[in-house]
Amino acid sequence: MSSGGESHRSINLIEPACTSCMICARECPTWCISINSHAEAIKGLPSGSRERSQNVLDRFTIDWSLCMYCGICIEECPYDALEWVGNLTGPGFASESLVEEMVTPPS
Amino acid sequence: MTEVAPEGWLDAVEALQAEGFDYFDWLGCVDEIGRRDCLRVVLVVRSLSRQAEPRTLSCSLPRDDPRIDTVQGVFAGAAWHEREAAELFGVEFVGGERRRLLLNPEFEGTPLRKDEVLAARTGMNWPGGKEPGEGDAAPDRRRLVPPGVPDPAVWGDRDASQPAPDPAEVADSAIRPRRRRT
Repeated sequence: MSSGGESHRSINLIEPACTSCMICARECPTWCISINSHAEAIKGLPSGSRERSQNVLDRFTIDWSLCMYCGICIEECPYDALEWVGNLTGPGFASESLVEEMVTPPS
Repeated sequence: MTEVAPEGWLDAVEALQAEGFDYFDWLGCVDEIGRRDCLRVVLVVRSLSRQAEPRTLSCSLPRDDPRIDTVQGVFAGAAWHEREAAELFGVEFVGGERRRLLLNPEFEGTPLRKDEVLAARTGMNWPGGKEPGEGDAAPDRRRLVPPGVPDPAVWGDRDASQPAPDPAEVADSAIRPRRRRT
């Protein structure tokens, strides 16, 4: 991460660290974060053990037309899955195009 | 912090100024709903000429009719602070400047009172209302109520034949995400 003012230009999701816990979406004062996730059974558990599931992140969007860059989501994330980065958010022709998909769809 | 009665507010500020605390620092307001049914006005003055701790005055005003004397005659700079407290908390500073400072002239309400409801949000779909593991298809199962929006049982969906909700109940209900009652 670069230093000074260049590091606070947008917010990035560190996808592997996100547990879809919804804390950022609940803390966000402007309601700009939306999360979709589903529960999936954990495979490869030792035989005889109880079935367990984990949440898998499907979709994580930040609406840059609403975000006020307060950083509360970054502060609140217990898994450090959000970070400040130096990239500027892209321009758009309509407010919908400012909704950024943060999760790369599986290929 | 020195507690002053509303009638003695102006005298107390003048006395501090005469004592040498002639630098007005700030004036603010706190909504103490939930603890007591009052608004607290706080004023801090300092002395620049001698080493002394800043002095803090506070005054409790009833929430339904908060009036206090202006101190703009003592410290002209207090006008901005008083105008801000007046429009955000609905405090009347008797004899003071009455123009709005920050809000639109058309705006109605007192945004920093804790029972102020973010009405536009009651009809919106809150992204934080979902539980972890929920996808798109679960809006009717929402059990969490977002901050700033009271529980529908208290404010919105309340039985019309019942008396209006108590401000403390609305404030408590709107303060943070919480489970719905129903």
